[in-house]
Amino acid sequence: MLSDLLTEDLVQLNVVASNWEDAIRKSAQPLVDIKKVTEGYVDDIIKGVNELGPYIVITEHVALPHARPESGALEPAVGITVLKDSVEFGSKDNDPVKFLFPLAAKDSEGHLSALQSLVELLSDPDFFAQLEKAQSPKDVVDLVHAKEGRL
Amino acid sequence: MADKKFHALVCCRAGMGSSMMLKIKIDQVIKENDLPIETEHGNLDSLIGFNGDFVITMPDLTDELNADDRVPSAVGITNIVDKAEMKEKLTAWLAEHNA
Repeated sequence: MLSDLLTEDLVQLNVVASNWEDAIRKSAQPLVDIKKVTEGYVDDIIKGVNELGPYIVITEHVALPHARPESGALEPAVGITVLKDSVEFGSKDNDPVKFLFPLAAKDSEGHLSALQSLVELLSDPDFFAQLEKAQSPKDVVDLVHAKEGRL
Repeated sequence: MADKKFHALVCCRAGMGSSMMLKIKIDQVIKENDLPIETEHGNLDSLIGFNGDFVITMPDLTDELNADDRVPSAVGITNIVDKAEMKEKLTAWLAEHNA
């Protein structure tokens, strides 16, 4: 389940970011701090966007920063970062980005249920409405728990 | 009747995050609309030896993949949660390949 991978220390609200790269680095920093990914993993996310464009912006206002597992995913984890002000990623259809869900996984199959929950959350307008209102990381973790309980 | 199933590879650069989520949604759309498509999931390396009918990916990879000799054709999905977009693009691809 997604709530198994999401802890309060991976949630950040009202984050100020000056551009897309800053937003990605800040969203992923908690994953680095608690050793879910290496610094190299974050560098590979940035490299991917520089090489291939903002392909991690997967739906309106949402980026899913992630890289190849072999670039430094240590343990499965999902973070949630809500920006104070949206930033442009250069995505023709889905800019500007306000919500980032940095993701670390060692393979896809092992975290299928977490990814399934995540994609359902991303399909749920009420999830984003409540995420915008969240006052603390605990609110966000509780919200994900509540949503998953109903899935 | 259309017993033939078209084979699609759903992929992204990393092969574990967005492409897996895209596959989950694509499979829902295929099932709901009874489309003659079956999917597998992978990363760009999965293209080595790929012998399916087409590739489903994110828009920023679409041009690159359409230019790749190993890829028969590539369909780019802009919004990973937009089932209407997926249905439209898959149906259009099927029509083009007269399924």
